[in-house]
Amino acid sequence: MSTKHIEAVIAPPAPHYVGDGFRVHNFIPSAAHLSMRRMSPFILMDYNSKFNFPPSAKPKGVGVHPHRGFETVTIAYKGKVAHHDSAGNSGVIGEGEVQWMTAASGILHKEYHEEEFSKTGGDFQMVQLWVNLPAKDKLSKPKYQGLTKENIPVVQLSDNAGTIEIIAGQYQGVKGAAFTFTPVHLQNAKLNKGGKAAFSFPATYNTALLIVEGNVKVNGAETATTDQFVLFQNDGEEFTIEALDNAIVLVLSGEPIHEPIATQGPFVMNTRAELVEAIDDYNMGKFGYLE
Amino acid sequence: MLENFQAYLKEKAKLSEAEVLSLTATLTSRKFRKGEFLLHAGEICHYTFFVEKGLLRSFTTDDAGKEHVIQFGPENWFVSDRSSAYFHEASDFSIEAVEDTAVVLLDADFMLRASEINSAFTQFNEMALQNHIRHLQKRINLLLSATAEKRYLDFIRLYPDLTLRVPQWMIASYLGITPESLSRVRKELAKNHL
Repeated sequence: MSTKHIEAVIAPPAPHYVGDGFRVHNFIPSAAHLSMRRMSPFILMDYNSKFNFPPSAKPKGVGVHPHRGFETVTIAYKGKVAHHDSAGNSGVIGEGEVQWMTAASGILHKEYHEEEFSKTGGDFQMVQLWVNLPAKDKLSKPKYQGLTKENIPVVQLSDNAGTIEIIAGQYQGVKGAAFTFTPVHLQNAKLNKGGKAAFSFPATYNTALLIVEGNVKVNGAETATTDQFVLFQNDGEEFTIEALDNAIVLVLSGEPIHEPIATQGPFVMNTRAELVEAIDDYNMGKFGYLE
Repeated sequence: MLENFQAYLKEKAKLSEAEVLSLTATLTSRKFRKGEFLLHAGEICHYTFFVEKGLLRSFTTDDAGKEHVIQFGPENWFVSDRSSAYFHEASDFSIEAVEDTAVVLLDADFMLRASEINSAFTQFNEMALQNHIRHLQKRINLLLSATAEKRYLDFIRLYPDLTLRVPQWMIASYLGITPESLSRVRKELAKNHL
């Protein structure tokens, strides 16, 4: 077994708004080193770093919009988000919870700050990932997995180092909560000051960390701080994270999908023709309806 | 930022590389941020805008303050207020960038020079005008006589990907229907297709 070395530590790019409710730094695919192909199956990561939203009578967010060909995964760290989609699913996720929506053949959805959170305002911190689907599953049936605290398995690390919450994939043999179409590991490492955790994923998997809170030392050498993104080379399997103070780190690793990527706005397909078809189907109401 | 316009002149107006380079050497392009105005109603602007990248809309505001979208201009479209650009009168319309947009500024002198360089441009320009008038005729007819659904279906034929780029109320405004009515049309279409 050999060490997975760091390729780059990337500072958060300048933020922009998605709708009026998400103030995000886009790491994947627009930051250097982080193209869709390089990071596959992770084809987008929008990170709403901790931001204080003032109280608002009208919930802020993003109105009805379509998706086809991939999954959206929203992870809440601070604040609450409400979701509704045209397949009839809805839900609210709060701190430590995850919403895993498989858009696949096509769905309309909207995402807003949850009503009560909106009224009081407060700190808001979220990650939204887009996870690509292999060609054979791009037109499968849409689905929704609301992952609450009760159904996300937690591994307690020895020596009071902290915990690993397994959203997807596995850690120390414990399986994660989410069903995935291709091998994807997605975990929150919540480490106490001085706590250390070791990870092992195949060298070919594209692997990265997002430092959600605190300062950490990776592989006993390089340090990374709040809001930075750590990209690993595809050269080894193992790495360690050590918390220099209480820290939360999102760990992501996935088997790349080696297929062509054609993308336009909210659609991610394999060919240009499939994008044209997606737009046509959306315009003609084939994604359903949502107020 | 003239690449699209140069490619457009070669492909559509059948101008040679040398002709295109000579014609466009003195042109200027400008960038506008989302929400910025290229022209306010009542002003005079001598330019027609060719959209290199981004999206424009021209619109009027009625006495009650309601906006009416006349035209959307995505990539490779021309947008202008003709009262202003060709008759030097106060413009009827405002023109706003719906997205961050890069445009090429074209004045009457450009059209003249292009026709002098190659008569193929004159023919191209006339056909472009005829096509524009044909589009306006159809648009008048749809606004006077067509159902909301028919107007919407015509809209997505003309502007297939704009439904992903502009808010619903702007589409409704272009179609001359209420946002509620547009919503009903989409609901009906969804019902018929599921």
